Amino acid sequence: MTQNQRQNNLPLLGQTRRHFFQGCSVGLGQIALASLLSDGATGAESAVDTKTELPTAAKPTHFPGKAKRVIYLFMAGAPSQLELFDNKPKLAELEGKPLPPSVIKGQRYAFIQPDAAVLGPRFKFAQHGESGAELSEMLPHLAGVVDDVAIVKSMHTDLFNHAPAQLFMNTGFGIPGRPAMGSWLSYGIGSESKDLPAFVVLQSGGSLSGGAAMWSNGFLPGAHQGVPLRSQGDPILHVSNPRGLDRRAQRDTIDLLGKLNRKQLDVVGDPEIATRINAYEMAYRMQLRAPELTDFSQESKSTLDAYGANPGDGKTAFANNCLLARRLAERGVRFIQVYHGGWDHHSNVEGGVRSAAKQTDQAAAALLKDLKQRGMLEDTLVIWGGEFGRTPMVEASAALGRTAGRDHHPQAFSMWLAGGGIKPGITLGKTDELGFHVVEDGVHVQDLQATILHCLGMDHRKLTFRHRGLEFKLTGVEEHHPVKKLLA
Amino acid sequence: METPYKNLLPFALLLLLPSLAFSQEPPSFVRDIRPILARNCFACHGPDEENREAELRLDDRSVAVKQKAIVPGKPAESVLLARIASQDEFERMPPPDAGKPLTEAEQDLLRRWIANGAKYEEHWAFVPPKLPDLPPEAEDPWVKNPIDAFVFARLKSEGLSPSPQADRITMLRRVTFDLTGLPPKPEDADAFASTKDPQAYQDIVSRLLASQEYGEHWARAWLDLARYADTNGYEKDRPRSIWPYRDWVIKAINEDMPFDEFTVQQLAGDMLPGATQSQKIATGFHRNTMLNEEGGIDPLEFRFYAMVDRVATTGAVWLGLTTGCAQCHTHKYDPITHTDYYSMMALLNNADEPDLLVKDTVTLKQRAEIEKQVSQLQANLPKYFPPAPGDAAEDVRRQQNLEAKFTQWLKEQQGKAVAWQTLIPTKLQTNLPRLEVLEDGSIFSTGDITKRDVFSLTFPLDKLDRPIVAIRLEVLPDDSLPASGPGRCYYEGRRGDFFLSELNAATATEKVKFASGSHSYGKISIGNGTADAKNVFDGNGSTGWSTSGGEGKSHQLVLNFAKPLEPNGKLNIEMIFERHFAASLGRFRISVAPEQTDEREIVAKQQPVEIEALLAKDVSSITQAERNSLQDYYLSVTAELAEARKEIDALRNRLPKFGTTLVMEERPADNPRTTHRHHRGEYLSPEEEVTPAVPTFLQALPESAKANRLSFARWLVSERNPLVARVTVNRRWQAFFGTGLVRTPDDFGTQSSPPSHPELLDYLAVQFITPKSEGGLGWSTKALDRLIVTSATYQQSSHVSKEMLATDPENRLLARGPRFRVKAEVVRDIFLTASGKLTRKLGGPSVRPPQPGIVTAVAYGNGSWPASTGADRFRRSLYTFSKRTAPFAAYAVFDAPSGENCIARRNRSNTPLQSLTLLNDEMILELARALADNAMAADTSDKGRAVFIFRQLLTRVPTESESSLLIDYQQKQLARLQSGELKAAEILGSDKATNAAAAWFLVARAVMNLDEVITKQ
Repeated sequence: MTQNQRQNNLPLLGQTRRHFFQGCSVGLGQIALASLLSDGATGAESAVDTKTELPTAAKPTHFPGKAKRVIYLFMAGAPSQLELFDNKPKLAELEGKPLPPSVIKGQRYAFIQPDAAVLGPRFKFAQHGESGAELSEMLPHLAGVVDDVAIVKSMHTDLFNHAPAQLFMNTGFGIPGRPAMGSWLSYGIGSESKDLPAFVVLQSGGSLSGGAAMWSNGFLPGAHQGVPLRSQGDPILHVSNPRGLDRRAQRDTIDLLGKLNRKQLDVVGDPEIATRINAYEMAYRMQLRAPELTDFSQESKSTLDAYGANPGDGKTAFANNCLLARRLAERGVRFIQVYHGGWDHHSNVEGGVRSAAKQTDQAAAALLKDLKQRGMLEDTLVIWGGEFGRTPMVEASAALGRTAGRDHHPQAFSMWLAGGGIKPGITLGKTDELGFHVVEDGVHVQDLQATILHCLGMDHRKLTFRHRGLEFKLTGVEEHHPVKKLLA
Repeated sequence: METPYKNLLPFALLLLLPSLAFSQEPPSFVRDIRPILARNCFACHGPDEENREAELRLDDRSVAVKQKAIVPGKPAESVLLARIASQDEFERMPPPDAGKPLTEAEQDLLRRWIANGAKYEEHWAFVPPKLPDLPPEAEDPWVKNPIDAFVFARLKSEGLSPSPQADRITMLRRVTFDLTGLPPKPEDADAFASTKDPQAYQDIVSRLLASQEYGEHWARAWLDLARYADTNGYEKDRPRSIWPYRDWVIKAINEDMPFDEFTVQQLAGDMLPGATQSQKIATGFHRNTMLNEEGGIDPLEFRFYAMVDRVATTGAVWLGLTTGCAQCHTHKYDPITHTDYYSMMALLNNADEPDLLVKDTVTLKQRAEIEKQVSQLQANLPKYFPPAPGDAAEDVRRQQNLEAKFTQWLKEQQGKAVAWQTLIPTKLQTNLPRLEVLEDGSIFSTGDITKRDVFSLTFPLDKLDRPIVAIRLEVLPDDSLPASGPGRCYYEGRRGDFFLSELNAATATEKVKFASGSHSYGKISIGNGTADAKNVFDGNGSTGWSTSGGEGKSHQLVLNFAKPLEPNGKLNIEMIFERHFAASLGRFRISVAPEQTDEREIVAKQQPVEIEALLAKDVSSITQAERNSLQDYYLSVTAELAEARKEIDALRNRLPKFGTTLVMEERPADNPRTTHRHHRGEYLSPEEEVTPAVPTFLQALPESAKANRLSFARWLVSERNPLVARVTVNRRWQAFFGTGLVRTPDDFGTQSSPPSHPELLDYLAVQFITPKSEGGLGWSTKALDRLIVTSATYQQSSHVSKEMLATDPENRLLARGPRFRVKAEVVRDIFLTASGKLTRKLGGPSVRPPQPGIVTAVAYGNGSWPASTGADRFRRSLYTFSKRTAPFAAYAVFDAPSGENCIARRNRSNTPLQSLTLLNDEMILELARALADNAMAADTSDKGRAVFIFRQLLTRVPTESESSLLIDYQQKQLARLQSGELKAAEILGSDKATNAAAAWFLVARAVMNLDEVITKQ
């Protein structure tokens, strides 16, 4: 039976409602009393009817997966693989000369003309770790953990503009309206957390071209949408009480609602009312849990320093988010999407990569070390990468005031993966000597998506949802496969 | 057969399919067999040629019989059954990787069907509906109208009976929500509850149907289908102006425009004979597609995706078919071929997509008044001219001075004027856009544009009498261009901008060199490059001339030749527009200057070209009228009157602008857009050209009709389309009952579940399209709504027993009334109404109710959300500015659509984030404060106040125990306020706040969170 059939046969809401309808008779009064008596986050736990399921409750996987959760460090704007992972000395030789038309063929470019000249790599590369993986000097911290990661130099995608390509990477489709990977997983296997959403979104750096459509639930039920979280202020929209109301006033209110809703349930009999009572209880738990979630004072100075995190400092937003991601992972959130914008270096790719790497390299590496040290790396899948690569050719434009940049390049780019289900210390794939085309072990975006689902114990062919007459999949209609060589 | 119930809810299966599971009646192909084949077999043995295995198709009886898969009457010889039943994994169908083995029950159905002759029938939805006979239950006293007869017959056959009628207040609340999206007033409820008038309900229905709120409420449902939003979507998601289309929808619904006309105007209003402005505005329906404004895209690629959306949306709304499935290959289940899909696209694909200035009467009148004042002031300007010194009467001296200064100016200007001659091209060539010469000699561009447009124009020089020394390019505004032009830029760069990279001139023998250039205005958008005139002849495609910021006005560029050109032969001009976005010119004119008597360089002027033309005339030939024009112009520029003109300038600045909207405009006959089939649906893989046509499995367009958008629109609402009536009434049914008679409002194809009440669906469908003169509803949606809400079925109580819930959890059998959470917009509108804050203003541009800035700050460009103030803050939620990449958070959390896709049925989720919004969102708290204030003003007793709050939100009177719970809560919070544990000043944000006010605010807030408040029951 496919996932979707399961869903249809056992409508989640229906099941939930019946469960709760039956479970409801244990008496909300008791629950409310227990809540009143309890204090703090842990106390709330005991006040909960744990049998009650919301649509994001944990569900079995297709097969045992090695990873339980995902932290996806999305480098929006498209980092230059030629400045970070894919060393191409040939480009230095050819610098200033146009590429032969036989290489370019009919490729459309966003900004440059196809006869633009070659731009040599801006940084030095060296081999690191036992695996001898080649990295540029811009990634010194990653170099320190390189034996834990699998680098893929042979990524390729179908789209060459930011918004479509980011949507494609996140939702498997280049146009807004499809469910995000995190939504698919929320729908497919739910959340292990009883007081946090299954799918959360963190954001730092520049603007995101794909926008909110990247964490949309698409045609999946609304409960599976990604919830934006912030490391300061209200971490979740409206999670704080209105001004002047304390926890007890909120509890009193939810108790009153419970009693009144319960009366209505008795009269009307619609289990939807029970689901709503339950939703209010979970909302209350989220309120209790949220402040603790972003309270970095629980972290040691050495941890903060390792990440380069500084609570409340916008300049270390990515580092703060990496640390928050680890805290979310510890609390059972299924899919933690961390976006960092600012990698779109159409001009001065050298300065741009230097600055963006400085903002991200240390924290990403620290996250891996931290997870490993806590024994969480083995069941947490960490992914790092952008939406496409950058051209071996230079971008320059008088109208736009651009020099020594690189344009969008969908044919080849690099990413890395680490942790749950991934073979550590390998480099997969090769590009040609110009870094233009993949020549070995190509990994299409949808192969990557199939791989991620596989690590979580999900078969991408079976995670489907029926909509407008079609069985939709994250990985689309063409055949795609988990990348075996990447799997541990 | 209903998949969801197949395995796990056998009881429901029995219920919904009472006759087939155990009876020995021959199975029906349509009801029983086709769904099994469609689900399990058609993917490889169906209509899709590309994926067909073993040349076997089971959707076509002749092929299935020829291949011996089916031997009619002989199950034992039918290979189909053998393969399905096989225990050998390699033999069994469907193969393990394609699907699960068929159940015993399914195999039995197939066996009995073959034994009975394996008759094929057409899918029920593709057969035009016929008016069914009313069942005998029509005579039952419970039955109020024919709807009830069908529902009752079905209930009876299940051994069930309907629920009692809901109490009167519930009935009123239900019908008011359904027809207006707002709650009733408690006073109206009391009046209705106590009246003995048997017509009272009918009267209320009539009043609600006639209210403006009806159109607003039902417009929202239509806008879901139209994927309406106020921004373009994708990365930049900049605002667009298309609210006049929303106003059109509200008005059309309020006027009960028949659905056939409603359809034709929206799909092809521009093509109707003598199309009115309103009919053009209606074509905004298919302009609601998204627009990718990201720099560097291929605009034609995203236009293609918009077309894909148009085909899918048209299919979903008027055909109830998943036409989108055939974008990449022939539909696997429904008889829509890959070519059908692109033929249907071709019907819609022959339009340009201009802006339309909406010249509404109010603005026209305001403008006329101001313009009248301006001309009066202008006529009076001479009176303000400073008088010359002297003794004569002031008026005389004034006149003398004006005459002297004007004559002096005229002479100077005449000395500078150039006798430009406009050239009319004999040949216009481009890479793609269509150029056309207008009467004034200007050249106008329509059709598609790209990131590198090249215009090649040929001008004859042999009619000129003197050598020429310079060329002038005027760029001109036009109402139908984005932001009125002069350019055609519509994304990424400034709307209405252009970017002229290079202008090359050549004669038959040589390239013409330019010595110098100048412009009247220049500025580029996106980037920090210069806009110098010389950029257009520097040989560098990345520099150029642009007039960004000068939209809606004329500008000019003048280039001097390095040496004069002789007046013979031809002049070829090539204009290249090359940027990372499409930015060619929309309207322009080319003129040349004759050799001058002196050697001076000719430069671009601010002066209007018409004035320069007069100035260049032979002085003796200037008429008095022309001289007057020149004097008027002089008065409008002379420094002598700078002060006097301030009032005129101020008035001009006050001229109200016309709104704009996005429309379709059929292309001229000489520039049709061709449509191709695209391999795998990919933009970059066009195959053969297709001819415009409706899907071949349906009746063709009438022979007399041209195969175009208008004919298609008319066809969609004609008897030739068997689907439209059922699909339309089903969507309406769904709005009232939560689920349609067909569960999937946008899929009536062979894979869809059959209707719960087929005869009722057909009855409503036939009635809906039968003319009023013949006793039908004549496509009137108001009449359909009336029929539904006056049925006994609709008026049942929605209370449900555990037994009934287990039997029919989704209420498909309709043994009870509908009960479900209202839509996102209605949630807020209830609070607006209950708090007394609702602004009842119809139509107009979108507004911004308050929400945390962070919601839009996460969108691209960190957009701000300047909350509306005053009455606009409290307008119906329909009017909330809809930003696609950052939808209004309080609506999104309640499943409101983002406008990215056509939505025929919203999700109805019930989540903790909704609870957080209702508990803590300041937008809602603001309304709770207003409600509490009203309660305190309305009554002095605790009970009175509690009842007031309760009734504003819930209409009904609370029970004793409910009101005492509210009062207890109020007392408890009051005690905490009085003890100082809570602080009224903090809670209400005012030092003057009383403890009682804070406590009542908390009560209002709490009641707003009750499930019943946001539920129609």
